[in-house]
Amino acid sequence: MSEAAQERPARGAGGLTGAKVGTFLAKQGILIAFILFMVGFTLANDRFLDPDNILGVIRSSAILGVMALGVTFVVISGNLDLSVGSLMSFSTIVVLDLHDTLGPALAIPAMFGLTLAIGAVIGFLVGYLRLNSLIVTLGMLSAIHGLTLTWSGGQNMDIADKEGTWFSVFGQGTALGIPVPILMFALLAAVLGIVLAKTPFGRKVYAVGGNGTAATFSGIRRARTVFTCYLISAFCVATAGLIQASRSMGSQNTVGQGMELEVLAAVILGGASLMGGSGTIFKTVIGVLILGFIQNGLLLIGLQFYVQFVVTWIIIILAVWLDIAAKRGRLLSPIA
Amino acid sequence: MNIRSMLAATTAAGLALAGAATAQEYTIGITQNNVGVDSYQTTYEKAFIAAAEANPDVETVVLDAGGDVARQIAQMEDLIQQEVDAIIIWPTNGEAVIPVVRQAFQADIPVIVTNSNIAEQGFDFVASFSGPDNITQGSRSAEIMCDRFKELGIEDEAQIVQISGQPGYTTAIERAQGFEERLPEVCPNVTLMETQPGDWNREKSQQVMEAFLVKYDDIDGVYSGDDNMGVGALNAARAAGRAGDITFVGATNFAVGYEAMAAGDYWGSIYQSPVDDAEAALQTAIDVLNGEEVPFLNYFDTPKITQENMDEFEKPVF
Repeated sequence: MSEAAQERPARGAGGLTGAKVGTFLAKQGILIAFILFMVGFTLANDRFLDPDNILGVIRSSAILGVMALGVTFVVISGNLDLSVGSLMSFSTIVVLDLHDTLGPALAIPAMFGLTLAIGAVIGFLVGYLRLNSLIVTLGMLSAIHGLTLTWSGGQNMDIADKEGTWFSVFGQGTALGIPVPILMFALLAAVLGIVLAKTPFGRKVYAVGGNGTAATFSGIRRARTVFTCYLISAFCVATAGLIQASRSMGSQNTVGQGMELEVLAAVILGGASLMGGSGTIFKTVIGVLILGFIQNGLLLIGLQFYVQFVVTWIIIILAVWLDIAAKRGRLLSPIA
Repeated sequence: MNIRSMLAATTAAGLALAGAATAQEYTIGITQNNVGVDSYQTTYEKAFIAAAEANPDVETVVLDAGGDVARQIAQMEDLIQQEVDAIIIWPTNGEAVIPVVRQAFQADIPVIVTNSNIAEQGFDFVASFSGPDNITQGSRSAEIMCDRFKELGIEDEAQIVQISGQPGYTTAIERAQGFEERLPEVCPNVTLMETQPGDWNREKSQQVMEAFLVKYDDIDGVYSGDDNMGVGALNAARAAGRAGDITFVGATNFAVGYEAMAAGDYWGSIYQSPVDDAEAALQTAIDVLNGEEVPFLNYFDTPKITQENMDEFEKPVF
């Protein structure tokens, strides 16, 4: 990809700038878009760059962000995961309920175990049985929702003694002046970023998503790779559920509803291809931050709510367009 | 008459006798919005079934649309087919159910709308609406807020923000309307700086409040469309160390709101019991069937609850 990007601006007509800048833009178009939005929002409201606000936005984005990290693996492997929103509701409700019955020290591993078990079921169906991931996870979206409602009996789940537990540390604590959710997000992003970019397993994920048949003939165990991707996704969802539960110490059954699409939007915004085979953790993080800062920036500007939907959409389209335009070195499609 | 038809006739007569012996006067069908999705609706259904079982004259057919308009329409059609005596509907959508409500009206089955009303063009086909008066709830919240500001002596300079329910929902619109109309009447110098929706969602409300806290250095009060969102706003203010400066007022007192009131962090709300809601709906249906005079908008009372009078109320179960 980088070779092609170097050639294109040299071809002249429509090229944005010189070759070096062109290469940089081609690689980091989404980053440029992100910086442009940040500048725009800062000009519109001087509170936007307030450190409290920046930390606040990243902290609220951490839940979506952690989920997006896992989904990045699934998407790169050429599959979809639409069940993450439902699964997040499930893990939140489960950990809150078990908190009061088992105590936090047992509730957390129990919740991770149950969430991973559901992830394993999805991974088995998509990986080993080779069922269409859209159908499997779409079905799981409502199946897990039903499971959550069954577990809670439709009631809101709240921790009875909110003051006398250390459970709040994951959502509300700070270390070194940084909120714990941000640290968890950063740590997970770093670890998963290295796994994806620097390990044999990471390369297998790209290979399976890029060309599954070729990967199989190269001796890659496709089913096992896909299965592991769903396990990673479930692990991320469980972490997100933990942050969510700890942040509000109580929850509705529908807490994660609709998040699957936001997560997918962040991953795609980061430049991962829905066809599989491309994307990085770093770009997903940028995608997550763009979504988080758009939401916050529009609130700070005080735009009327109904307009916010439309503006959000315009900004996403702009970001995707800038990314694509930078990659091909011209604003319009060469064949337009 | 051959033997077979004689048998059939006697069996039918026997069944009719058995039916008369158990003396079911009315069969009332109910199609609910989305039981299980939140605690209010779950408690409502339990209370409705309990109230119906306690009444020997009533038999009920309890259905749930699962939030799906199409399913609710099908359930209405089923109830019409079954020729129940009255239908109670908790609309999934105030517009889309009107045609099937009309169908019931044409079949001479009285329809009682519960909890949230259908759109006005359907009023002709409805016997009565039983539920909370959301506009009054909004104005009562404004009064609670204003009274508190007077106690604190800041009624001439207080600045507040509002976190409303999901855009487009009648309940959200009416509560905001009641609040915004009443506030300038009782506290003309209080400024409502901004309104943003929290979508009935605690986490969303928490995010909105975080942005408000960054944007405004001075917030004296927060009005939320329900306590669930109110507690989200409270969490955000707590994290910013500003909860002590802010008067929180909500609506639909939830258990979490009640607890926060008991802890002294949350000032007041509107007490709306799903048990009252369910019992009022059943009673309205029975009154209509008995031919009694029932007001078209048959509201049940939803009183003010604050830290001062909360002892008079039981902690909500949802």
